[in-house]
Amino acid sequence: MTALLRYQAALLVRSQRWLPPFILYAVFLAVGVQGGQPVLDSLGYAAAAVLPVAAWLVRICAGNEPPAARAVVAAAVGPGRAHLACLLVALAAAALLGTAATVLVTLISDPASADHQVRVEPLPAGAAGLLAALVCALLGTAVGALTTWPLLRSPGRAVPAMMLGVLLALVVAGSPAQSAITSLVTGSRAGTVPVPLLPLAGAALLTAAATATACALTARRSP
Amino acid sequence: MQSDLRLTNVGRRYGIRGPWVLRHIDLTLAPGTLTRVEGANGTGKSTLLRVLAGIDTPTEGTLTGRPRTTYVPERFPARLPFTAHGYLTHLGTIHGLPRTTAARAADEWLERLGAAAYARTPMAQLSKGSSQKVAVAQALLPAPELLVLDEAWTGLDTAARAELERVVAELTASGASVVFVDHDPARLAGAPDATYTVTEGGLNRRTAQAGSPEPSGPHLLVEAQGPPGAEPPAEALRWTTSRAETTAPGGHRLTVPRTHSDVVLRALLTASPPWHVASVDPGAPARNHTTAPAPLTTDEGPR
Repeated sequence: MTALLRYQAALLVRSQRWLPPFILYAVFLAVGVQGGQPVLDSLGYAAAAVLPVAAWLVRICAGNEPPAARAVVAAAVGPGRAHLACLLVALAAAALLGTAATVLVTLISDPASADHQVRVEPLPAGAAGLLAALVCALLGTAVGALTTWPLLRSPGRAVPAMMLGVLLALVVAGSPAQSAITSLVTGSRAGTVPVPLLPLAGAALLTAAATATACALTARRSP
Repeated sequence: MQSDLRLTNVGRRYGIRGPWVLRHIDLTLAPGTLTRVEGANGTGKSTLLRVLAGIDTPTEGTLTGRPRTTYVPERFPARLPFTAHGYLTHLGTIHGLPRTTAARAADEWLERLGAAAYARTPMAQLSKGSSQKVAVAQALLPAPELLVLDEAWTGLDTAARAELERVVAELTASGASVVFVDHDPARLAGAPDATYTVTEGGLNRRTAQAGSPEPSGPHLLVEAQGPPGAEPPAEALRWTTSRAETTAPGGHRLTVPRTHSDVVLRALLTASPPWHVASVDPGAPARNHTTAPAPLTTDEGPR
């Protein structure tokens, strides 16, 4: 599995298709986050933007290999495992980006509540932001996995479905991403640092289910 | 490959309500056998090979006993951001080889297929034939127990084609199972243990060389000498299409398909006690011109 992950990661890095989502994310942060703003608000903003990036990265990873090359790897390790490696690499890339953004945002933000009255410790705040970013990376991977090959193949349906999925994952009440980000924003108002562990567990479960569905279908759909 | 790969009542269709591409397929591949699959375009040959290689799951029925498998697709577009050597090393490690072993094997196989010059070329710059060589190399590199070739010869140059035929002969001789589809009827002629025809989703076994006991395809004449009265090694006889005793004591003359000459010579030379190879005559005609007692067909494998 390590070799498989290394192969998929090399494919992603060398294809340079990761650049557009990364750049878009950087622009999004540059527009929305400025130094001296309340730390938890900025962290919530940075975490939310990880979700579409994760979904996009899954789409990139799933389409990175020509079908013939995918068949060759599938013969070696089984199509399910090949697809699992592809999803894990996308998740890892999104998590990496989210971690980097969380560290940066924690460093430049004002460690205070939304009204700058109550002090918020930067380290617990950063940890809460990291959890939220992870929740969004997981949920984005789930959305991506369900809206690309092998479930949806034509880009005409897959891309709108992915965008709708991302939007719903961010705004629908009860979604782990929505609750993790909301907990950061309300925590910022009160000046308390939330610990969004429940959303993390929910996101992990949803992502595992979505990944299992996608991987199980790889050998059943036409190339 | 330790045990048989077995397809039992396998059917495959794409989509929930799609037409059946394959239906009621029963097939057993024993270790060390070469199997040819024939059929007109679009009959489901490729789908059958994908099922055998484990890329597609049967919609119904079961597949059991699939060993370490490699697959050569019929077209291998080189739209991958690696050099040929880098790609092969990755594939070798995916098959479980240590990195250094995989890198060395990648160089060896590119050399054997005549693509060593392109080892460090980005795959996007390779010609169709050269990328097909990379596709073949990735399948041979991990020493597969089941090799699935979907028109793997298409696009290869003459030298690489002959090399691939020889490798297939070596693999089957060493106990691996090989399944192939090719539109050239002369491809590995006389060598397959079984030939199947895919028609309308079903599979029919073609009786081997029905009506013509004579071997087809280019053959070599090997004259070898062993201990007087001894039979040639079974491994050599397995690939011999006809044989006769010569006047020399212990001398035998074996007619061997050209693709399997290396395998037969190795069997003779590594037998215990080793046989002496007196001569190898490349000009043997395809037909059986010696007074052989009974032509051995390749179906009579002693294993």
